[in-house]
Amino acid sequence: MRKNRPWLYVLFWILISFLTLFPIYWLFVISVKPAVDLFSTPDILLKSFYWQNYIDVLNDRTLRGYMVNSLVISSGNALLCTTLGFLACYALSRFDMGGKESIFFWTITNRMAPPAVFLLPLFLLMTQVYKVGDFTLLDTRIGMILVYCTFNLPFAIWTLRPTVDGIPKELDEAAYVDGASAWKVITEVVFPLARPGLAVTLILTWVFAWNEYLLAATLTNFNARTLTTGLSEYVTTTGTEWGIMAAISVFTLIPALIVFGMVQKHIVAGLTFGAVKG
Amino acid sequence: MSFAFRLGVSTLALSIAAGSAFAQDDDFWAKAGEKFQGVTLRGVTEATPPSNYISDVLAPEFEEKTGIRVEIETTSWDQMYDKAIKDMEAGTGIYDMVYIEQDIVYAYLARDFLVDVTQTLADNPDLKAPGFDEAAFTTFADYFRGENGDLYGIPMEAFIKIYLYRTDLFNDPEVQAAYKEATGNELKPATTHEEYTQIAEFFTKWGEDHDMDLWGTTAQAHTGHPASWYEYVETVAPTFGVYGWGIDPDNNYAATVENGGTMNSDEAKAALKWWLHMRDIAPPESVQSTWTEVATTFAAGRAAQGLVYGENAAWIASDDSKSRVVGNVGVALPPMEDGVMADAESGAGYIGYYDGGAFGLPVTSKNQDAALLFLQYIGQESVQPGWAVAAPRITHTATYDDAGVQEMNDELGGYYDMLREDGKLFAGAPPYPFHAQLREAVAPIFYDILTGNIDPDSGLDQMAEKTEQELTDLGYRQ
Amino acid sequence: MHSNKLGWLLLAPTLLVLFFFGVLPFIYVVYVSFHQWNPFAVNPDMVFNWAENYRRVVFDAQFLASLGVTAAFVFFAVISELILGYLLAQAFMKDFPGKAIFRTIHTLPLIMAPIIVGSIWKLMTTPSIGIIPNLLDSWFGYNLNIGQSAIAAFITTVVMDIWHWTPLVTLTLIAALVSLPPDPFEQAQIDGAGKRQIFWHITLPMIRPAILATVFIRLMDALRTVDEVLMLTGGGPGSATRYVGVHIFKEVFPRTNYGYGSAISVIVLYLTIVVCWLLYVFLIAPRNKKG
Repeated sequence: MRKNRPWLYVLFWILISFLTLFPIYWLFVISVKPAVDLFSTPDILLKSFYWQNYIDVLNDRTLRGYMVNSLVISSGNALLCTTLGFLACYALSRFDMGGKESIFFWTITNRMAPPAVFLLPLFLLMTQVYKVGDFTLLDTRIGMILVYCTFNLPFAIWTLRPTVDGIPKELDEAAYVDGASAWKVITEVVFPLARPGLAVTLILTWVFAWNEYLLAATLTNFNARTLTTGLSEYVTTTGTEWGIMAAISVFTLIPALIVFGMVQKHIVAGLTFGAVKG
Repeated sequence: MSFAFRLGVSTLALSIAAGSAFAQDDDFWAKAGEKFQGVTLRGVTEATPPSNYISDVLAPEFEEKTGIRVEIETTSWDQMYDKAIKDMEAGTGIYDMVYIEQDIVYAYLARDFLVDVTQTLADNPDLKAPGFDEAAFTTFADYFRGENGDLYGIPMEAFIKIYLYRTDLFNDPEVQAAYKEATGNELKPATTHEEYTQIAEFFTKWGEDHDMDLWGTTAQAHTGHPASWYEYVETVAPTFGVYGWGIDPDNNYAATVENGGTMNSDEAKAALKWWLHMRDIAPPESVQSTWTEVATTFAAGRAAQGLVYGENAAWIASDDSKSRVVGNVGVALPPMEDGVMADAESGAGYIGYYDGGAFGLPVTSKNQDAALLFLQYIGQESVQPGWAVAAPRITHTATYDDAGVQEMNDELGGYYDMLREDGKLFAGAPPYPFHAQLREAVAPIFYDILTGNIDPDSGLDQMAEKTEQELTDLGYRQ
Repeated sequence: MHSNKLGWLLLAPTLLVLFFFGVLPFIYVVYVSFHQWNPFAVNPDMVFNWAENYRRVVFDAQFLASLGVTAAFVFFAVISELILGYLLAQAFMKDFPGKAIFRTIHTLPLIMAPIIVGSIWKLMTTPSIGIIPNLLDSWFGYNLNIGQSAIAAFITTVVMDIWHWTPLVTLTLIAALVSLPPDPFEQAQIDGAGKRQIFWHITLPMIRPAILATVFIRLMDALRTVDEVLMLTGGGPGSATRYVGVHIFKEVFPRTNYGYGSAISVIVLYLTIVVCWLLYVFLIAPRNKKG
């Protein structure tokens, strides 16, 4: 494995990519087959294409609504978590508040909660406590954006902390000496330097929100249903519509892929967890 | 004829009919809807073809006639229960209609979750639709009546779990000759478990010998999903004479033989061992099969016979986009032990599972009167034939005589005739309000029996003991 | 510089959101956990029963078994992801044609929803009709049956988790490796250190914080796994893959065992916090102080 033999790496990565891609390829295979064909000895290669599943999905207007909901909820949640997480990390990093390390650790415990049992209290809070007149948070996009903070905000704080810690304090102090306000320091000094870390946090929280199922399944009904909950409509007593589920899944990959592609180059620069020397 | 086409034809027929004969009804709907302008009714249901027909056809029709909007949320089986229960338990009032599967109705009734439809209509005669008549339902509606005999849900699905067999294989002279040679018997649908076993073993071996993907039976034997438990307690055990899951509700909910139950009786053990043997000679995917996979296995032509939920019989027999055995499906009553038929006829027992569901009105609904209108709308006799053809299910006695339904009946090998004539021999889930709770308590033991971790005899003993313990914890057993 | 007031102000939105959507539900769960409550019992109301639920947990063989398989699942999955992720990250350190494409391909599993991942793996592994059992049978004559063999199902869930989450580890470690300063390595090479020595004495200590933080996130996510396994095996065969997340789901969803299920959840959360706290205090926090 010397550096003058790059083809070895290419070969190695072709092999790895094959393993990585196989289940995704299989998802595609499932999506272009009628259900009954799945129940036979499988062929590894596709011999014919059955596009009906895709036609059904494209003609389904409710699914388009779910797609919009998913996009709004995951984008809103990712932006909110990244922003709040960034501000929190700045506070944790630059101020000498009592008990801040305990607070830091406490934030992550919110991500550890087994989700199933928290659904009932969340349901009760969202329907009976967090309401204004007739408006309740249940089945709203804003409600889901806030609920997803329980697992995404701690993640944002934990991924951003080393990034913010890694930006030398001397830089802000110099700006303060020049008479800049705290807001200006955060937005014009720290923010540009933290951008790679922010990009990574944004994309990963976006992906976690985009993929969430259990909370969305319980806490949305008509107006804020997401694509992943749309999938469960195809698990029925008269047959799991594997083909349609797979076709929807292929569609859910596309926006995720676009978002991922947009910030891919930032990821390598930004995913630092503990690696940046503070 | 394809489903879509039939759906089109019947909707057309329906709208023509609606144009003339039901003009008077239209007046009623328009007038009744006046009070509820701007109201949106919300319902939750499992995504099944009958439910889809409600949201795609009946709800828009209803909206057109009354001006009341109807939104139906469809979701998966376990999510649907959880959401409906959370809503009714917390009194949130999200749903104006909830799907009630026959097996959970007793739990809902015990908790007074549902509005008494009969009583409310009697108290509010102006809400009563002229086309709605409780007496028009089949006897299946009785499952949704409370102790006072009143109706608490409008039936919308009804099926029996039946014995399906492949007519092309059973009528093939070559197969018949080979069967006769191997067993000394004529090849015909089994009426006893011995015959069923013989046929199953024969076809599994036939598939092996001819290098075909063919096995002798299906088995709904998932090792981590309650579908397997259901197949055993609802379909197999009754045909061995073990009824009501082997629990005796009149005897302090006893389950063990010791205390007077039958869950671990010799019959129950024989039933389980017979079924495990069937599972062993069923297609290998059976260990991961719930009801849906069993139906697909049969539709893919991988099993010569099997016990399949009736809601799947229709598409297996007639929908060539989903099934490879179209036109080759025969239906028969499940095989059973001696004495079971006598029990079923006298009402002391039953020979299989009569499954289905209804739409009910939660007491927590904020639009009860409008919801009552919609429930009556879908319960009218006039909407039934189109519904029955589009999403095979029958809830009204008169629907059997509809020409479209008759035509389907022929296509399905006489399934509807069987539902009509022999439906009374089948029974829904026993009237226990602790259905899912008990199931989940004993299912882990049942899964361990399936994997061979526990042998069937001691497994059933453990299940019976666990049942009594769980029912004691829940307060049903003193 | 600025007073701590500003610090608290910046932290406040985070604390508020987590309080209303994390802490309040948690308090409710703790409250319920001290009650007997199943809405379909003869008495459907909450009945205060002291710490009875907690007493039962200690003797609940099923729950303890579930904890055991969860520990094994988390252990094998996270260790494998770590080793594999490290090796792949190292392989990305060199220059070779098509690197960006391979990196994109390698992140694809990450963007798939767990419920979808579970569905694909179920269809790929169902006996007789799945592609994987068929390939294993024709290549090695091995009969993979995840519906019957506990060990096969266990391994399949681990492999599925590895497939899904190794990319996260790889990405993290690439970032750590990229930011390493070159000097110590050059020095070591001049001193004639072998590859193994460089790994143990230089690379590993330097990326240790990154490794630990990754393990930390993966550990708590693996402990909460529900969707994927529920789709793949339903927790079976038997109780072979009934991991705590799945176990709790089955207790509180179909069984509506709210009181007891809450007690289990509190215990699981407590155990998770303890494990993570120990990891944090001994392995991660010292680095933060030093920095």
